[in-house]
Amino acid sequence: MIYQILKEAWISIGAYKLRTFLTMLGILIGVAAVVMMVSAGQAVQNEITRTFDSMGTNLILIGPGQTVKGGVRGGRGKPTVTFDDMDSLASLKDVETISYVVNAAVQAVYGSNNYGVSVYGTTPDYLNVGNWEIEQGSMFTERDMKSGKAYIVIGQTLVNELFGLQNPIGKVIRLKGQPFTVIGVLKEKGDGMMGDDQDNIVLMPVTTLRQRIHSGFRPEYANIGFVKAVSEDKMEAVANRIEYQLRARHRLKDGVENDFSVRLMTEMVEKVRNVGFILSLLLAAIASISLVVGSIGIMNMMLVSVTERTREIGTRKALGAPNRWIMFQFLTESILISFMGSFIGMILGIVLSQVGGVILGKEVPISLWSVIISVVVAIVVGIVSGLMPALKAMKLDPIEALRYQ
Amino acid sequence: MLQKNKLNGLSANTVQKPVIEVIDICKTYFMSGGLSQSVLKNINFKIFTGEFVAIMGPSGSGKSTLMNILGCLDRPTSGDYLLSGDNVAKKDDTALARVRGQNIGFVFQNFNLLMKRTIADNVSLPLIYQNVSEAERRERALKMLEKVGLTGYADRLPSQISGGMQQRVAIARALINNPSIIFADEPTGNLDSHTSDEIMNLFTLLNKQGITVVLVTHEEDVADYADRMIKITDGRVSYDGLRKSYQAGAELAYQEQVKQKTFVEREAK
Repeated sequence: MIYQILKEAWISIGAYKLRTFLTMLGILIGVAAVVMMVSAGQAVQNEITRTFDSMGTNLILIGPGQTVKGGVRGGRGKPTVTFDDMDSLASLKDVETISYVVNAAVQAVYGSNNYGVSVYGTTPDYLNVGNWEIEQGSMFTERDMKSGKAYIVIGQTLVNELFGLQNPIGKVIRLKGQPFTVIGVLKEKGDGMMGDDQDNIVLMPVTTLRQRIHSGFRPEYANIGFVKAVSEDKMEAVANRIEYQLRARHRLKDGVENDFSVRLMTEMVEKVRNVGFILSLLLAAIASISLVVGSIGIMNMMLVSVTERTREIGTRKALGAPNRWIMFQFLTESILISFMGSFIGMILGIVLSQVGGVILGKEVPISLWSVIISVVVAIVVGIVSGLMPALKAMKLDPIEALRYQ
Repeated sequence: MLQKNKLNGLSANTVQKPVIEVIDICKTYFMSGGLSQSVLKNINFKIFTGEFVAIMGPSGSGKSTLMNILGCLDRPTSGDYLLSGDNVAKKDDTALARVRGQNIGFVFQNFNLLMKRTIADNVSLPLIYQNVSEAERRERALKMLEKVGLTGYADRLPSQISGGMQQRVAIARALINNPSIIFADEPTGNLDSHTSDEIMNLFTLLNKQGITVVLVTHEEDVADYADRMIKITDGRVSYDGLRKSYQAGAELAYQEQVKQKTFVEREAK
């Protein structure tokens, strides 16, 4: 019986091809839009996850405190955490390693090539906390740092911009007019969260940076400090110890706010991910308005169809069609239309999001959600928009229906 | 009984079991404001297997309502209607649909074919609701088309054939479920006189093959094809007898007879 109903419904909607197609279009566009939005949202979330993973896990970030002027909280203030503060954290319980960064933006020059680059004055452990790997050469050592050697490790972007196909190891480039010898090349990481280029980077001993780039003017403050905990579940405890230690070292009395900030990477990841999730949900919600419109389109068409086919319904009933049969036939017609619309919409959505991914140079996942959404939409929209017309058809009195002109 | 049968115009060799037995059927329409209109009043008759009956009457007489009840499209307000011995007067919609699908064939004035479907699909339509397989439906449809003289038209659309042919398709459709009776409601109303004759000859032929035919018409020459005639006037049977012997006088005589009968019955009580 199900096969018979399906077949009758299929033939009936096939009899009006253009009308069926136009009706389908609403759902088709709606599903395509939702699938695209969901794909975009997923791509963004994947990007966020990838970026955070590339920054390292179990990480606690120590930065400047908030400025408070006349009771108004401002943005971040000047760095307040010294190198000694940071070094003192290394001996805390459950701390695997620490590092810190002082940064500067300078122009790198090699021969006739030059390129703007971020210079990070840091410690050898930065590789560990920042999840960097050395592709070629080596990282500078503790001893290089102590003696303030003019050694640098450079990112892939700089390799491409300054050296092209040449081997950069052992070459000397100029930063702020000072010569530095390239001793290592970092493995590529790709774009950061904000689309910034993480590989446009120069690492050098923090002592070297202070002497040669900052000319020793500024005190020994770190722009940002990193503490890597031994495991994720120890992070909270480590953060508390850091806070206790730094408050003691900065001689902050009870009731005085921290002049530094301690943030857990996991919390930040969670926050950004939540924002990403809500954003993609919002996009999908907006796109799904078109599904409502499409659904109304189907209902409208089905109502017209029931009226138009009143005599057919009367005839079918006179020839022995039970009311249920009539109802299911019309319901099936509506489900078929919405199913076909959803299916084509899903494929269109996937194709378009892949094309978009290629154009933007981002990887867009084909998610299971696209399929789930399409199937759910097909059934829900089909039933919701088909039920009223189907019931109308079912309730038609065969005598009246046969008389209908 | 014998006398009654003679009155009904039955031939001697007919099986003595009624296909249709209508007992005291009334139909009243209730309107808003407590008004009601009585359309059928105490209708009684039997139709036997193999009969060819014309139901006649002026418009507004209630013959369409009677036809709808006989065709199980409607239910009487009171009274009983036995179709092949089964009382269908109180059945629900689903049960009535089953009765229509299995025991009744309909032929309509305006053919009521599905215009987007092939002739074969149209003919086999009632079988869909009996869960008959596609192959068997096709086979039976072709057989029926042969019976009504439309061999070779199976895959055409109704719009590609003439009105007379369309009505033949409708007749084939009415026959396909081997019904115990065929109801034809003004089957020639939309046809010219020549085509009308063809269709009526087809009904006569089918009747000769043993199919019971009940015809609703207001055309005298169409009714002439029937053996027996039931005339409805103002919701009552005003004549029931041989079509041949029907004339104004016969109608009056019949009414007198009924009156007498009721009088005798009343006296007996």
